[in-house]
Amino acid sequence: MGRILIVDDTMFMRTLLKNILFSGGHDIVGEAGDGAEAIAKYQELKPDLVTMDVVMPKVNGIEALKAIKGADPSARVIMCTAVGQEQMVKLAIKSGAKGYIVKPFQAPKVLEEVKSVLST
Amino acid sequence: MLDEEIYRKLFVEESRENHETIVNSLLALEHGEDAAAIDEIFRSAHTLKGMSASMGFDDMERLCHSMEDVFQLVRNGQRTVTPALTDLLLRCTDVIEVMLDEIEGGGDPSSETAEILIKSLKAFSDKGTDEAAFDALPDGGGADAEPAMIPVAMEDPDADASPVYTLRITLDPACGMKDVRALVILQNLEELGSIRATTPSRDLIEDGMFGESFSLRIASDAGEEALKTVASGADVTAVEVSLYEQEAAAADADPRPDLEFEDIQAPQKPGKSEKAREIKNIRVDIHRLDQMMNLVEDLVINRGRLEQIARKHGIKEFDEALSMVGRSVSDLQNLMMGIRMIPLERIFNRLPRVVRDVANYDGKEVEFIVDGGDTELDRSMMDGLNDPLLHIIRNAVNHGIEPPDVREANGKPRKGLLKLVARRDKDNVIIEIEDDGSGIDPEKLRHSAVEKGLMTAEAARTAQKEELIGLLFQPGFSTAEKITDISGRGVGLDVVKRAIESLKGTIRVDSTLGKGTTFELVLPPTMAIVDVMMVHINDRRCAIPVSNVVEVATGRQDAIHHIGSTETILLRDSLLPMHRLEDMFGASSKGSDTLVVLQNDGKKCCIVVDSVEGQQEVVVKPLSRLVGSCRGISGVTIPGDGDVVPVLDVNTMV
Repeated sequence: MGRILIVDDTMFMRTLLKNILFSGGHDIVGEAGDGAEAIAKYQELKPDLVTMDVVMPKVNGIEALKAIKGADPSARVIMCTAVGQEQMVKLAIKSGAKGYIVKPFQAPKVLEEVKSVLST
Repeated sequence: MLDEEIYRKLFVEESRENHETIVNSLLALEHGEDAAAIDEIFRSAHTLKGMSASMGFDDMERLCHSMEDVFQLVRNGQRTVTPALTDLLLRCTDVIEVMLDEIEGGGDPSSETAEILIKSLKAFSDKGTDEAAFDALPDGGGADAEPAMIPVAMEDPDADASPVYTLRITLDPACGMKDVRALVILQNLEELGSIRATTPSRDLIEDGMFGESFSLRIASDAGEEALKTVASGADVTAVEVSLYEQEAAAADADPRPDLEFEDIQAPQKPGKSEKAREIKNIRVDIHRLDQMMNLVEDLVINRGRLEQIARKHGIKEFDEALSMVGRSVSDLQNLMMGIRMIPLERIFNRLPRVVRDVANYDGKEVEFIVDGGDTELDRSMMDGLNDPLLHIIRNAVNHGIEPPDVREANGKPRKGLLKLVARRDKDNVIIEIEDDGSGIDPEKLRHSAVEKGLMTAEAARTAQKEELIGLLFQPGFSTAEKITDISGRGVGLDVVKRAIESLKGTIRVDSTLGKGTTFELVLPPTMAIVDVMMVHINDRRCAIPVSNVVEVATGRQDAIHHIGSTETILLRDSLLPMHRLEDMFGASSKGSDTLVVLQNDGKKCCIVVDSVEGQQEVVVKPLSRLVGSCRGISGVTIPGDGDVVPVLDVNTMV
């Protein structure tokens, strides 16, 4: 079970994800509403895993991912994505994201991906 | 069930924000290329799509998806935003808004219009796209006959002595984005060794051009187990691993990769996680805030009551305690007012769309500038302000700003300017709506006034401009020669004025023929708690808002003059209308000479009262709907002793 930082620009998605992850026994150590906040929170909280939305205001998920990976190469980041975002997600994976989950989230899939990324 | 409700609320709230962003960005785009606006629209459409998909609102999801697709193309420079596209997209936002309303009401929206719009958006996306569809591309895992492995480019010719394995990875057919999943697996495997070859080619795998499975050859020291573990995970149904080069089999040592250490190195730090969970902001249902405000109001009323009891009995200790309570109540009251304040943006944000629609309908060109949206106003006033503001804005575009050709002929720029500015001024919030249109023609007003029997021809001829403009607020008075579809039908400025007055505000118009018109709304930031002066008239109490009181004076009998049917009094060299309010309170037998001078909007008058009781803070409650609106009374208040006291509406007196 891991300590997770949730990054998404809507409280709706954060709440949804939080409840899914919580039901899987994970600890939600923080939430961030945009990429810049995500970078700062990562430094502060050093979570085991980050769920990162791709499309966000100010600093987007890819830029935030790069910044986090730059500061901590061992960071585990899962991208939250939706159909239509394949190219962006591939870019994220190539930039060091460890996995991805597709909206609309299905709890078992999310938990499976989180588990598998946490075990690496 | 409860969760569902919470999600729905959050969903509607945040969707509305995104919806608003899309509308405003679309309008911004109409004024020219704006990369930031395109990004905003794309982002908001994407967010809406994700949220609606999560809630299972399929129609909304597909509509947002189509919008997102279009904007992806726009963003890449493959399409440009044409007026037709803007119209189409605005229609989409209208449908989304209707859907959100339905969702808010607990429904599950479906819309046939959405279907049509999705088709139109698709047509727009596809138009002119000559890129071949990808469907025709080969399917790597289809046949049993294993196709040849395709070596990965840049393979190191002096490969190390690591054993080489062949992996065949099968994905769940229901896997979302199998191309991305494949990429994740390839990337993860690469951390354990070097991939020598893949089937089909790596490019095709990364584009998702394979059936349910793909194969690869990897040189790695990690061992079969580790490879299998890394290749498995979400969406993977099967991983077959076999050793490719027999001679390397002996090297199967140390199967535990150093990845294992990472788990050990990530200890739980409970102290820190608790700190992170500290919540800085919460959302509170507005009804609860209203309830709380009611309680604070009750507290204010009861404090007044306690003060009266304390005065009567004169107990020192009690007084002290009461003054402490009093201070806390005041602080609580101020805090509560602060919490209820919301920025005017909430209603301003809708207006650019209104301006655009009206301007388009009328064939006018309007530049709309909004400033001061961060000025705050009590929430309860927002609802009441929305309609009057909408009406004034529509009016300005409809009747104020001239068609482009007319403007040009008059030496003005073709594009009209409409400004909406809000600012805080001492105790009031001031909202100005200024246009540079044709202005109001006093001659037309004169003519209209006589025609409608509101003034005699004589009075009309000599009337000042202010007086004539004041006529605009008379019921049924409108200078527009024809009623249009957009500016309210039969709803005149009198309704606007009444709405503003019910918010305890005032409205003023200034206009210069040919130059433009300015509406000025002056509103108290909140209307619940008011400082009033208590007076007695004919043995009845009456409260007057202190903000309207100029002074209390004594009038001499010989200073009273009759002009026509109204009494006036000469006070400090100015002649003021004098009201006895006998029709409201009955004739007073006392023959008092105490006057309270009132002012509103720069105009003064005075009323005769028997005596002045004092000043106090009270909660003004609006009149019950059963009573209806009562001219001269803006509400009632209950001071400490439980008496019900009317509050004078000074607006209607001066």
